[in-house]
Amino acid sequence: MISDSITNASATSAPRDSGKKKRNNKSAKMKQNKLGLRREQWLSQVAVSNKEGKEEKSVNRSEKSDQRDNQPVVCREEGNNGGNNLHHESFMESPSNSSVGGTDSSTNFSGRSSRSSSSSSGFCSGNVTEEENVDDDDDDDGCVDDWEAVADALAAEEEIEKESRLHESVKEQESVGQSASNVCDSISDASDVVCVKDPEQDCLRVASRKQESNRAWRPDDDLRPQGLPNLAKQLSFPELDKRFSSVAIPSSCPICYEDLDLTDSNFLPCPCGFRLCLFCHKTICDGDGRCPGCRKPYERNAIKAETSIQGGGLTIRLARSSSMFCKF
Amino acid sequence: MQASRARLFKEYKEVQREKVADPDIQLVCDDTNIFKWTALIKGPSETPYEGGVFQLAFAVPEPYPLQPPQVRFLTKIFHPNVHFKTGEICLDILKNAWSPAWTLQSVCRAIIALMAHPEPDSPLNCDSGNLLRSGDVRGFNSMARMYTRLAAMPKKG
Repeated sequence: MISDSITNASATSAPRDSGKKKRNNKSAKMKQNKLGLRREQWLSQVAVSNKEGKEEKSVNRSEKSDQRDNQPVVCREEGNNGGNNLHHESFMESPSNSSVGGTDSSTNFSGRSSRSSSSSSGFCSGNVTEEENVDDDDDDDGCVDDWEAVADALAAEEEIEKESRLHESVKEQESVGQSASNVCDSISDASDVVCVKDPEQDCLRVASRKQESNRAWRPDDDLRPQGLPNLAKQLSFPELDKRFSSVAIPSSCPICYEDLDLTDSNFLPCPCGFRLCLFCHKTICDGDGRCPGCRKPYERNAIKAETSIQGGGLTIRLARSSSMFCKF
Repeated sequence: MQASRARLFKEYKEVQREKVADPDIQLVCDDTNIFKWTALIKGPSETPYEGGVFQLAFAVPEPYPLQPPQVRFLTKIFHPNVHFKTGEICLDILKNAWSPAWTLQSVCRAIIALMAHPEPDSPLNCDSGNLLRSGDVRGFNSMARMYTRLAAMPKKG
């Protein structure tokens, strides 16, 4: 149920994604080709060693062809070749030696706990990095290649694990994976907005961000520990505090410097917002009767002022009260 | 205790606390009478009063803060809005534009602002006002600087 809602929500983000891709430059497209190849490699790996996962594969295909509409035919051909085991192994070796300790451990941990979600997390991480690579500039080639290789290898590893066991609910996995990947897409979109602003910046930061996105739990992740605080909730509190503190009521009367009590702090004699204690207000009204804040004369007829605000059906009562006041 | 006295005590505390905050103003209360204050203000920079230290005398009336304090220059100053002999200051907030929200400290700030921006159209010092109104800024500046040197600067040696 949850995944359904997520997919629905993220389905809206998909067209935006494709539109963004169209706007990309040529180098990005080249990178896309490269990515398509890589993706095909691990897909074919699945195809070779796993005959029963056809259904899943087709789903993968369709999803992928949605994402990259310029490459579908080539991909399929390569996928049918089926001799990509060597490629895949080389992929597996090179990145897992490099520094992915954090991601490795986390995915392994998830793999122990439950199979379906482990595959989904693998999916997820792979997609995150790929999407980001597509949208990134080509300045950060070295690092990014490493990372996408790592991500691919991780994904492939997860696939192998999955194959070795008998996976029962392929469809469920797919839906979870898709939803996760779509969520990741939106996340990577957000990070790309930041990225685009300073494309010439060092790729180190990009790399670290990717690591973060690989490692961290997403708010809707199944594996996310219940004890982790909800970030959105936490953010809402300081805002609230700020709102309360911004309405500044002076603690003491600016005229006599005595502390304002509750009645005084609720007393707002002038529309300019200048507050003072009732004693000072009375002494001023006995004198020239002008507000110390704006120097405009105070409303002499306080009753009139109050009732005129209400208006409408109270006009009769207003007239009577004001006439009473006039008699005074 | 009257409200004015209480208020002046509070202002005194405030002045003691914020002594460092405004180095251009030094406000001191008379030892025996809290209704008598003196202030030392520095002439604002980029004016002919720059470098001078001017002494002000405050006489706080009983109905303070409903009525403004009476302020005058003890130091001689050549300024269109200051009487040359008595040191009386022509400033609206010390007369009809007074508000109880002002303090002695803020009055000092207003006087510094008046030194930087003279108002020659309501002069108490006609000679000074006439110089400015005739457009002789150079003449006004040299006169004001001379009196600042003579009266507001510590004597050398």
